[in-house]
Amino acid sequence: MKGTTQSPPRVGISEAGWSWLGAFLGISLVGLVQSLFVDQVGQGLLIGSFGATAVLVYGAIRSPLAQPRNVLDGHVLSAFIGVLSFKLVGDISWLASALAVSTAIAVMHMTKTLHPPGGATALIAVIGGDSVHKLGYFYAFIPVGLGAVILLGVALLVNNCAKNRRYPEFWL
Amino acid sequence: MNDQCGFRDLSEEDVLDAMRSMQGYVDITPGTFREIYSLAYDLALKRIRTLGKAEEIMTSPVHCLHCEMSASEAATFMADFGISGAPVVDEQGIICGVVSEKDFLRKMGLPGTASFMTVVAQCLTVSGCLVADLRKLHVHELMNRPPVVATLDTTVSEISELFTKLSINRIPICDATGRPIGIVTRSNLVGSLCEMR
Repeated sequence: MKGTTQSPPRVGISEAGWSWLGAFLGISLVGLVQSLFVDQVGQGLLIGSFGATAVLVYGAIRSPLAQPRNVLDGHVLSAFIGVLSFKLVGDISWLASALAVSTAIAVMHMTKTLHPPGGATALIAVIGGDSVHKLGYFYAFIPVGLGAVILLGVALLVNNCAKNRRYPEFWL
Repeated sequence: MNDQCGFRDLSEEDVLDAMRSMQGYVDITPGTFREIYSLAYDLALKRIRTLGKAEEIMTSPVHCLHCEMSASEAATFMADFGISGAPVVDEQGIICGVVSEKDFLRKMGLPGTASFMTVVAQCLTVSGCLVADLRKLHVHELMNRPPVVATLDTTVSEISELFTKLSINRIPICDATGRPIGIVTRSNLVGSLCEMR
């Protein structure tokens, strides 16, 4: 447990700037789509796990965890698993939560779609309250799938603007 | 694993400097990167050592001496081509021996490990010509025989074992009839390990 190496070096200010811009635009767009279309069906589009996805797809764009396949498939798979856990043992909240998160991780590992915010998406399916529970499996499409696609679209645009930045590293 | 070129072991500073020069957040610790690098390096060495064949690293075609050449013709030949040794072939072009600088040195009364400076020192201190005895000799009297040879399929690791065991610096590569088609020298060997193909 001693720790044998060190943190990677700090990024330059331009990288921090591009990350800020991408995240600002990405989350804005998800929020705008929510207020223009999705609010009408009574479900918010901006869920907590998108804040985490923004860190990866705008702030760590080279990371394998930030690639489109991981973002979209990771979120959608985790959403299904979260809803399933709730439907199975939702009355025992701690159990459903633990089952959702751990199973999401294991499944993301085995499908090579590991995406940290997926754990959050699975957890929200359990603890997100009535509005989430009402959606059932549709949760995986709205808000999860749609929000992920919007964030990815902005990432594809913004992350390829600067000379030394490119995204994605791989599609499949 | 033997690190011939000093490239196997990256320092944390090497890796950190490299990461600093890259745009963006590189999602790996220097330690993990060094681990992957050493493992990959060892695998690459193993691949080249077991799969690398004489054919891939040899110099070809090879300059050969004829066994009836005089010592002075042979020396001129080797000087003109800038080589320190060559296979010797007979009238049919089949290899019958190998000549190297060591063979000349031995006939000059010096040990095979003598350097150029030994020769100069001797020349300056001893009166009389060091190479007088050589003038009457022919290549077939100078050469080392039987020749140690290899084929196109001989692996790089087998060749390096031969070099070490027999203290030789070159090995002719011959075809099925015994005709030299190329040669592998110590420089070819070192070059092959440093160029990770």
